Amino acid sequence: MSHFNHFDTLSLHAGQTVDDEFGARATPIYQTTSYVFPDTDTASSIFNLERGGHAYSRITNPTVAVLEQRIAALEGGSAAVCTASGMAATFCAITAILSQGDHIVASSQMYGGNISLMKNTLPRFGITTTFVDPTDSEAFRAAIQDNTRLIYGELIGNPGLDILDLAAIAKIAQRYQLPFMVDATFNTPYLCKCFDHGVNITIHSVTKWMGGHGVAIGGVVVDGGNFDWGATDRYPTITEPYAPFSGLNFWEEFGPSAFATRIRAEAMRDIGPSMSPMNAFLLLQGLETLSLRMDRHLSNTKVLLEYLGSHEQVSWVSHPDLPDHSSHKLAKKYLPKGAGSIVSFGVKGGRDAGRAFIENVELASHLANVGDAKTLVIHPATTTHSRIDAEALVAAGITEDMIRLSVGLEDVRDIKVDFENGFRAAKKIASA
Amino acid sequence: MYFEVNGRKVFASTGGKPFDNTKPVVMFLSGSGLDHTFWGLQSRFFAFRNYAVLAPDRPGHTHSEGPCLESIETIAEWLHDVVESLGIDRLSIVAHSQGCLETLEYVFRYPDKVRSATFIASGLATPVNPALIDAAENDPQSAIAMMISWGFGQAGHLYQGPIPGNSMVGGGWKIMGRNVPTALATDLRACDNYKNGKAAATSIACPRQVILGGKDRMAPRKAGMQLVEHLRQPELHIIENSGHMLPLEAPDECRSLLRDFIFANNPAS
Repeated sequence: MSHFNHFDTLSLHAGQTVDDEFGARATPIYQTTSYVFPDTDTASSIFNLERGGHAYSRITNPTVAVLEQRIAALEGGSAAVCTASGMAATFCAITAILSQGDHIVASSQMYGGNISLMKNTLPRFGITTTFVDPTDSEAFRAAIQDNTRLIYGELIGNPGLDILDLAAIAKIAQRYQLPFMVDATFNTPYLCKCFDHGVNITIHSVTKWMGGHGVAIGGVVVDGGNFDWGATDRYPTITEPYAPFSGLNFWEEFGPSAFATRIRAEAMRDIGPSMSPMNAFLLLQGLETLSLRMDRHLSNTKVLLEYLGSHEQVSWVSHPDLPDHSSHKLAKKYLPKGAGSIVSFGVKGGRDAGRAFIENVELASHLANVGDAKTLVIHPATTTHSRIDAEALVAAGITEDMIRLSVGLEDVRDIKVDFENGFRAAKKIASA
Repeated sequence: MYFEVNGRKVFASTGGKPFDNTKPVVMFLSGSGLDHTFWGLQSRFFAFRNYAVLAPDRPGHTHSEGPCLESIETIAEWLHDVVESLGIDRLSIVAHSQGCLETLEYVFRYPDKVRSATFIASGLATPVNPALIDAAENDPQSAIAMMISWGFGQAGHLYQGPIPGNSMVGGGWKIMGRNVPTALATDLRACDNYKNGKAAATSIACPRQVILGGKDRMAPRKAGMQLVEHLRQPELHIIENSGHMLPLEAPDECRSLLRDFIFANNPAS
């Protein structure tokens, strides 16, 4: 069988054939805004979606297309659309199918940006959200209203690390004929292919593990091609004629890639959060080694979980691979290679001790990112989740002593040496 | 659009324009297990060039009501019912793979109905490996994997798409995934059982065009050339770098060839 379908092969080759003019092996960076049309008929055909092709890099770009096709292949989707950031991907995906008066049922334990988008921004456009406990699948069902149009969650919740029961929630979504959209940034398709468990759309901040080197911001929406938008009349943006494209019916014409095509035709054109070709190139370099890096992220995480779990200055450690984690069973089911490289832990001595730890590590960087090749630490209550209120903070599983650790690829012995310096400083504060 | 044939609901894509039987009609017929979305990069072009487009889902496929039709001969009669029920007059057929066998039989039975016929990626017959039929019935995902592997050339195997960001393989997998196990297995058996290709091809008098893929492993060039021989000097094109899924793998070349052929033989006003 010559249909290549193994992860490591796809992460290197999918979406690209070698440039036939110069034979460049790497994906060329097409740093251009626009493309010369050979004739007017070709131009009008591209604009009318009668044929593929590139017209303007806000909509499509050859370098970005390689990244899109590669991620679609790795996820097992039918199409993908890259965006300027993960948040842009989330916004474009939601607004492609929801309009004023529509409602979302979403996990309460998500990245602060996702929470803020649904709690503060989308309501200004008439889209409301009910947040539910991600560990209670039945709560998703109970929150469904007549105007619900989407179920949303993160497979590995940020930062509490609770795992969504994908199959259980997908079953509810199917019963109510609702699409199930999952932010899969923390797992990447290497750890879990969400579409295999009934998810319909995935979102990634490609900035994180996929890119993996902290050098470029980017996002992607992947269309699973497995939701029948025409089964009800609830998704008119997909199933009704779209006037700007001469009455195009995305569901009728594009079938399994109808959703992705709608995003491209509307959001990329009218809103324009496009990924730059240079960023796509940088992110492709990261994607080529995703599996290798993830394996090292996981092995370092395993060592650090043992180290932190037995450290006298650590009050608690949370990671789904630990047997005492409430999501341990689900982690084994959905993430058998390992439940990612984000670890939450508490430093004895509370908020001030936590601050002392962060300010006294040297190797680990204190910054607002995850999934870098380098080890990162942050205090969520004062940074990533600082804009959400106390009630939502509790719902998100965040405590004041919590440190979020994104385990990097350094020699794990050096990470432990670095942490010892941080813990020594924290101990002084705690015992003062 | 939905319409009824023999009391059963049929879905057909119309290329983004309302179907108008006063215009010349281009009907697109897909291969086994596939549906109307296979033709998106050709159908919309004709719909916006003053043709009426019809890309129907066979009974029991994707959006059309079942049951599936079990022989090429039965499907040919169903095509006749479609043509009659929609009042189609000036008809060009563009067919791929199994659709070509259906077209051979339909034109053989109703020669006066068709202005032109295009055969893409087909021979006179389509003998199907019994292992594939067995897999379609009992292990559909394996059957889809085989068809994806054999059906696509290099670009498909490398997950490229005719539209930036789309994956031919990913899309094909989802389309066939909707039509397993019953529709795909029924289609494959119908192909395997069809024996009238030689007689049908020899009888066809309307303008005819054959487009073959140079790297087609499902309908290899040798089989395609047998069709060419019996169609008696059709317009022949071989797209050397394409596999079996020509309308997806070489959409622009296919569209250009179809444009020139259909514009000449079934012109729109």
